[in-house]
Amino acid sequence: MRLPRFEYVKASTTGEALAALQAGDGQTRILAGGTDLLVNMKYRIERPATVIGIRTIDELCSVTTGSDGSLHLGAGVTLSSLAENSLIKESCPGLGRAITAVGSKHIRNMGTIGGNACLNTRCWYYNQSQLWRDAREVCRKAGGNVCHAINGSERCHAINSSDTAPMLVALDAEMVIQNREGERRVLAREFYRNDGVRYNALEPEEMLSRIEIPRGNTERRTAFIKICSRRGLDFAMANIGAAVSVKAGRCSQVRIVIGAIASHPLILEKTAAVVEEGGLSEGGMEQAADTARTELGTLTNLFSSAGYKRQLAQVLVKRVLQELKGSSRNKRRAGK
Amino acid sequence: MQRRSRQERGAQVMVSKYSVVGQRHPRLDGRQKATGRSEFSDDVYLPGMLHGKIVRSSIPRGRIVNIDTSRAEQLPGVKAVITHKDTGGLMPGPDTVLLCDEMVNYFGDEVAAVAAVDEDTAAEAAELIKVEYEPMTPLFSMKEAMAEGVPPIHNYIEDNCADDISMAFGDVDKAFSESEHIRTDEYVIHPSHSSFAEHHVVVADYSLPEKLTVWTPVQSSAIIQMSLAQNFGLSSSNVRIMNLNTGGAFCGRGSERPHHYIAAILSRKTAKPVKIICTADEEFIIYRGGGKYNFTFKTGVMKDGRLKAIEADLLHDCGPYVETQFIMLRFTGFQLQMLYKVEASKFTGKLVYTNNPPYFFHHGAGLVAMRFAFGAQLDAIAKDLGIDPVEIRLKNAVDKGYTTLSEMHFASCGLKECIQKTVKKSGWKKKHGKLPPYRGIGIGCGVLRAGGKGMFDHDTSAVFIKIDEDGKVSLVTGLPDMGQGSHTAMAIIAAESLGITPEDIKVIAGDTDITPFDAGAISQRGTFTTGNAVKNACSDVKKQLGKTAATEMGVKPSELVFKDGKIFSKGKPEKAILFEDAVYNTLHSSEGRFVMGRGFYNPPTEGVSGGDYKGNPALAYSFGAQIAEVEVDPETGIVKLLNMTVAHDVGRAINPMAVEGQLDGQVFSGMGQTLFEECIMENGRVLNPSLLDYKLPRPFEVPGIEHIIVETNDPYGPFGAKEVGQGPIQCTSQAIANAVSNAIGHHIKELPITPERVLEAIRQKNKNQ
Repeated sequence: MRLPRFEYVKASTTGEALAALQAGDGQTRILAGGTDLLVNMKYRIERPATVIGIRTIDELCSVTTGSDGSLHLGAGVTLSSLAENSLIKESCPGLGRAITAVGSKHIRNMGTIGGNACLNTRCWYYNQSQLWRDAREVCRKAGGNVCHAINGSERCHAINSSDTAPMLVALDAEMVIQNREGERRVLAREFYRNDGVRYNALEPEEMLSRIEIPRGNTERRTAFIKICSRRGLDFAMANIGAAVSVKAGRCSQVRIVIGAIASHPLILEKTAAVVEEGGLSEGGMEQAADTARTELGTLTNLFSSAGYKRQLAQVLVKRVLQELKGSSRNKRRAGK
Repeated sequence: MQRRSRQERGAQVMVSKYSVVGQRHPRLDGRQKATGRSEFSDDVYLPGMLHGKIVRSSIPRGRIVNIDTSRAEQLPGVKAVITHKDTGGLMPGPDTVLLCDEMVNYFGDEVAAVAAVDEDTAAEAAELIKVEYEPMTPLFSMKEAMAEGVPPIHNYIEDNCADDISMAFGDVDKAFSESEHIRTDEYVIHPSHSSFAEHHVVVADYSLPEKLTVWTPVQSSAIIQMSLAQNFGLSSSNVRIMNLNTGGAFCGRGSERPHHYIAAILSRKTAKPVKIICTADEEFIIYRGGGKYNFTFKTGVMKDGRLKAIEADLLHDCGPYVETQFIMLRFTGFQLQMLYKVEASKFTGKLVYTNNPPYFFHHGAGLVAMRFAFGAQLDAIAKDLGIDPVEIRLKNAVDKGYTTLSEMHFASCGLKECIQKTVKKSGWKKKHGKLPPYRGIGIGCGVLRAGGKGMFDHDTSAVFIKIDEDGKVSLVTGLPDMGQGSHTAMAIIAAESLGITPEDIKVIAGDTDITPFDAGAISQRGTFTTGNAVKNACSDVKKQLGKTAATEMGVKPSELVFKDGKIFSKGKPEKAILFEDAVYNTLHSSEGRFVMGRGFYNPPTEGVSGGDYKGNPALAYSFGAQIAEVEVDPETGIVKLLNMTVAHDVGRAINPMAVEGQLDGQVFSGMGQTLFEECIMENGRVLNPSLLDYKLPRPFEVPGIEHIIVETNDPYGPFGAKEVGQGPIQCTSQAIANAVSNAIGHHIKELPITPERVLEAIRQKNKNQ
């Protein structure tokens, strides 16, 4: 498949990129690794008039530590380099697992953390060629008024398949968004929206510049699991990111987030409450997994049946808790 | 070192009588392929070449009201726009109109085409063509298509029944009435796609009206040449087929497709060469992959497991165009009585026209589905009777010298040997019924012919050999190599025959202006049929060289042996002449003979009669057995294929390395069809037309594979060789499916065995308990 025509702007500072974004009148897209955008452009799902390259913006391509010990991941850092990052390995191994779960080595070499965090939602009825889409009424995601995934639905149900998103939500990450006026911060849990069309909080003239991950206490444990058909080069049938602080057998700050089964990562609050209550005992974990099944809301049959998604969610909760139980705590030493 | 059985040691000794055959040989073009230097049809760029793009129907069924091409014609860079009226009424198939005339019959049907200076302009122009349709109620299910009073898809076939056959051998009623146990099961196999590494592509040069040259990946240059010549009213030698390399064929590239004709017509109209390459989603839209099979198997047995009667019914969706599906029906009918000794067999098969995409052969000649269904039922029968699945197979397995009910004759047969060796190597006896929960082991067996008549009245391959004065051999063949290593196999056969090395041989292929006739790499005929032709051509060469050598050495030509680069007399090996010297001396003498060999081979069989389907279509048949071991995750339903033990009776391994490659490839593809791949159809469209959403496995999914090469030395094959083209895959699906059934304790009746289906099967099993 061939790319459509577009103008290319190579931005060397964030300011240049934002200026170009604003000038583009909503017809402009940011190109980081291109592993998502270029494919979508080949399918003519996205036809931006202008594409802004941000790979040479230094400030987007660094990993730093904040004064409060938080980890600042530039949106343009490639997934491959983050996979090797020792700070991530030590303080939130779950995020490391989520990063290495993305695509394949080739895709991680090109793809960025910002790109994966902002991954466009996908749908069987949308991620298709023009010819294929022409055969049906224009769906909500393509600007129409119908949803082919759930007939009669008032919203778009395209699926957020990002592997890093559920983990970022579980880590209480903050998304730092820039526009011409300055920057604003949005918690990852609020960044993602339960709508396949407006799937995140970014406005057309805004861009994600970095992701900040709170340092977390020394008792924090993190884990990530992805279930997919193939070993690699596959979107998840379901994935899960979880973080929990375990001290003297008691669990606190429990975050359990299921991804790739809905338009946004699903935060399982009731399930988390069960864990805070029952801890990581066998019975507690079983109970948490049963609870997970009940708090998923409406699911589609996209990519796999709703029933199977529920089953996977239940299994993933159990398995992620087992992994958390066996995993080690935050190894980041003071001052690092 | 592992201890070898006496039989294996015997095989080793037998191999050693050959110098080249039986040795492991990397492909002659391996280095070129691995370094990206091999050329494929998309690498062809000709001066002035245009790019074509096909406009496809966006509805599954309807009447074309109007096609407005005006905007496309005005687009700068567009050189031609064609619709049905430009085709001269050409019909690529008996039920297929080139570029839809009145009706479109499936989503993606070709409606118009453009040629432009580059691919982008062609794509833009194609989008500018506006087709107005009057939609009609599409028929997606066979039930809808067979209902009374529905408007037929083709007005000349009122009941939408494209084919309806009945093939019976033996006294079916009697065999069933004598059976002590009868079982009936239904099986569903969902569509899967060939997913060729090389997309459909054609470059056609029809600049001059008297000559058409086509570069394209095909399994048979002869078939496409014949069809194009007939349809364009050209003499066949004026159609030149250039088949550089073929990036995978899997039984799906036997014949021409509409895009071949479309490119030729665009080229004729513009007097420029035209290239058309299908995009990733077009590969799935034009489909021509495996269809959906609905099998009913009724089988009667005696209590000791002896098979009495097999009756199968196949209701098959053939999309709007019948393509090769009628052949698949007949192949299936024959297969019922080819693998196991049975007293009677009956097959009824029906093809139903629908508005789903057109189907085609898919890897395994459309027989993997049938083999899965019967293999699964045989396991269920064994369970009913309390017999080990291996025992029931051994009890009924055909032997050397067996003649089937339809009079197919097996001059060599290693089926039992394949079963016994896989059983031993896999540790079946220690594992079957003794594995931990959710671990399973299963066996599958298969048979396939090596070449044979049916496509043409003959099954001929012809070969030329020329030998330059330095003793280097050029072997000219019309047999394509689509990845299976056939050219290397031909070089090995020639090297063995002439007593030289494969490196001394250059294979020249893929140009019908040069290469002699070859029916092609279809029906697993390459090694057997073209291999025999190579041997015959080599005999011709040896006659010519033998005269020189015999005269020089003062011996009789009949005493000569060609071996190790030398020609010598059987009785006096010390008296030898170098092969290359013999060649040189034959030319540089008063006789001045340039050594050229020619040979052809056409298996001396009568073929199958049209009336009662009886007769022997092929001289050689290959057999195989495979054992799979799986682990099932009962919570996610995900099946992990742990290992496969694979035996195939190849007659003789011309190149064991290539045999293993074929075994690996077919385990891979069979595993895909069994566990991963499914074209999810909705309203005549594939919902997952990309390799992202269509779950083609990756190399990481390949299990550990144990290869067992069984050599039965076929009396007709070149050096005893038969086939390894599509025989092994016949066993794979059954073996894996039976292993899954064994793991979960529930009879799997649907392919592919997706995680959701596994969970459903476990639920069913728990419900029944």
